[in-house]
Parts: sequence; C-alpha cells; structure tokens
Amino acid sequence: MNTQGNVVSAEEAFAKKAERDLISAVKNGDKQAYKQLYELHVGQVYSLCLRLTSDKGLAEDATQEVFIQLWRKIANFNGESKFSTWLHSVTSNITISYMRRQKGWFQRMFNIEDSEAMHYEASASTDAVDLDSYISRLPERARIVFVLHAIEGYRHEDIAQMTNMAVGSSKAQFHRAKQLLQEWMGYE
Amino acid sequence: MSNQDFERQLASQIAQLDKQKQPERDLWQGIELSLAKDQAEPQPRKQAGNTVILRQTSTWVAMAATFAFVGVLSWFTLNQPAPQSSPDMMDVAMTLSQQHEAQKQALLVRFEDQPALTQNWQQQLAELDEAAKAIKAALAQDPNNIALLKMLQHVHQQQIDLIETVHAPKWQQI
Repeated sequence: MNTQGNVVSAEEAFAKKAERDLISAVKNGDKQAYKQLYELHVGQVYSLCLRLTSDKGLAEDATQEVFIQLWRKIANFNGESKFSTWLHSVTSNITISYMRRQKGWFQRMFNIEDSEAMHYEASASTDAVDLDSYISRLPERARIVFVLHAIEGYRHEDIAQMTNMAVGSSKAQFHRAKQLLQEWMGYE
Repeated sequence: MSNQDFERQLASQIAQLDKQKQPERDLWQGIELSLAKDQAEPQPRKQAGNTVILRQTSTWVAMAATFAFVGVLSWFTLNQPAPQSSPDMMDVAMTLSQQHEAQKQALLVRFEDQPALTQNWQQQLAELDEAAKAIKAALAQDPNNIALLKMLQHVHQQQIDLIETVHAPKWQQI
C-alpha cells in the first residue's frame, strides 16, 4: 500500500511539474504549449460552461471566450492555488458575464422575460434520470447558484459577488433549486 | 421519502457527475484565429465580446454592419493594385467555407419540414451568401488579412444563427 502510495505521489508530482512547465511556456508566449494546455483542460471548462448555460452552442462559445481570455490572463496565475481551481474560477466568471450579454441579446430580440416556463433547451422528458438533465431544467439563476455552490463548492458570498446578487438571494435561489430537484426526483 | 434520503441521493449523484465533457465541434481553430489577431493588434481589447465568436451581437445590426463593411471592401477591392498570392491563408478560407457549407446543408435538411418564423429568411440567407462571396474576393486580394477571415467566419455564423433562429420555436430561445 505504501509502495502504491509512493507511486501515486510520484505520478502526481510528475504531472504537476509537467503542468508547471507548460504554464511557464505559455506565459512566455508559446502557442504550441497553449494548445496542449487547451487539450488538457477543454473538457473541464466545457463541462462547467455547459452546466452553467444549459445550452451546447452557448457553452461552446463561452469555452472559446474562456480560452481567448485565459491567454491574456495567464500571467496573473501565480501558482499559489492549483491551476485547475484557478481555471474554474476564471471559467465561472467569464461564462456568467457571457451569459449576461447573451441574455440581453435574446431579450432584445424576442422580448422574452426570464421565467420558469422558458428554459433554453430544457428537456421535454419528465423521466430523465441523471442529475445533469434535472439541472438543465432549473431556472437560470437557481441553476447557476446550484452549480457554483453544490458542484463547484463556492461560498454564497463568492457567488453573490460573481453574479451581482445579494448573499440572501443566492441562498434563496439554492433553496429553490433544491426544492425543484427534490420534487422532480420524486422525493415529495 | 425523507429530506435526508434526498440529501444523501443528491450528494451521491453530485459526486458521480461527469467533470470532463468534450465539445462536439473543434473550438481550437476559432481560439487560434483570435489569438493571432491579438498578436497582430498588441493593444488588448477590453470588451471580451469582440472576439471570433461574436454571436451575442444582434443579428440584424450585425447584418447591417456586414453589408456596410462589404460595400467598403468591394470599393477597396476594385481600387487595389495587382493581387499577391498567399496559398496558406486562402486554404484556411477555403476549408472554413467547405466546413460551413456542409454544416449549413445539414441544418437545412434537418429543418426541411419545419415551418419558419419569418417569410424572407431565404432571401436573407442569399444576401449573406453574397456578403461571404465579396469577403472571399477581398481575401483573394489581401490574403494575410486576419480581419477579413474573421469577417468571413462571422458571416458564416450569422447564416447558421439565422437558420436556427427562424426554425426554433420561441419557447426554446431562453
């Protein structure tokens, strides 16, 4: 067990060093290294974008936006936290801001108010079993708060700052999300 | 079933969530183009929305801007000296156009039997085709112009957005 533990540690240490080297190369403007970094993390970024937006097209656009801005912001990464943690924070902020702009466009275009009855790409099926399907059906603000708090582990204070809502509203939206999930998952 | 059961079930499902999902289309190409443009313009852009994506812009406003821009380009093209060739960039433009055409045709087939929200969408589509042609002509004159390549991508995206928007029921838009 000890040996296995050592092997895992050595692998982790190696992976960390490789990532540090990659980030350092990117900071020096190496685009090939940036492509490697993209390939390593695109799944993680897209997955978070998709959960936040609940829309494939928006999630793809937001993912591009994240990696375009990341190229400019990577010099700000000082290595104090894990890169993936920092990247999650950057992704959340950029995606929320992207959704805000996009929502403005849709509302201007179709004069649609945010309402529970209108969820982009909401699943019409009521027997969807996986949690992601339920999450995609949540109203936008409840969904964002749920994803950031329950899945990504952000505090309500952080979410309030990211989304420009009061801390109390973030807690209320989380409660609302859980109530809806509880209902849909048949626990009421 | 109790609240505790629900909390347990929820926590278990959250732990099992897939944290790595791959996008269906290749996003790197667009990112790379935008980075190339950044290098060509050393001043960092403050508005993140002004990237290769450009989908947040109102389609109608963007279309008006496109036609105005294409008008200027056409004038420019007619008044330019002899062309210089740069096969690489033209290849990129050609590949983009081929990919776009395949995507457009697939969408048109998909929505073939679905009623459209507006009557004149095909005319708008044809106008965007004309815009794309004018941009490609300008690109042939100035093959190293990344801005033109981005404009071409933008027009392609507008066509896709137009087809999707006029065929998607309103309730699906938000």
